[in-house]
Amino acid sequence: MNDFARASVISASGMQAQADRLRHVSENIANADTPGYHRKTVSFQSVVERGRASGEVTSGPVRLDQSALAQIYDPGHPMADETGHYAGSNVDLVIEIADAREAQRSYDANLKLFDQSRQMSRALLELLRR
Amino acid sequence: MDIRSTIAATGYAINRPATAPDPSPGGAIAKAASDFAQSLHQTETTAKTALMGGADPHALVTALAQTELAIETAVTMRNKVVEAYQEILRMPV
Repeated sequence: MNDFARASVISASGMQAQADRLRHVSENIANADTPGYHRKTVSFQSVVERGRASGEVTSGPVRLDQSALAQIYDPGHPMADETGHYAGSNVDLVIEIADAREAQRSYDANLKLFDQSRQMSRALLELLRR
Repeated sequence: MDIRSTIAATGYAINRPATAPDPSPGGAIAKAASDFAQSLHQTETTAKTALMGGADPHALVTALAQTELAIETAVTMRNKVVEAYQEILRMPV
């Protein structure tokens, strides 16, 4: 595989990782009102092929945010304890939206680089046509 | 006169191998063609899997972009070869 092809494969792996991250953000937002839900966080790690880092990135194992769950006062809730509180989720919508925006920016950067490598290899081929 | 023709004949005999077809580039071209066919086949498989919902779209886009470049390279090479052949045909003998 030449360098241009490798660059586009690496950019595609970055896009894939960011898409995975966005999926977890949407899971968090969808479960923002689920009682007892811990928000999921995604870590990134580099891909190792035959003992060498290939330069690609992949999303690592999902971890749960272990910060305290929000205590919501609702005495009529079936899960409410004797004080009238129940444990909600620890999803903060502002954090999730910021995370989604970051994923989008990173995706855009990878997309630009993908396009760049394609344009460069095409420009090289243009030389042959003359 | 006789010496001249002898020299010419010798020169011709010396330069003869330069015009003989070289077998090695044929192998390289055949290898390039088989690589090209393999790339096409791989993209076809990826496209099939992606359309059936198996592969992710990024892999499809990467494979398609690489195949597009491979096809462009192949077409450009073919054009060059045909151009060179026509150039030889046009050569006044």
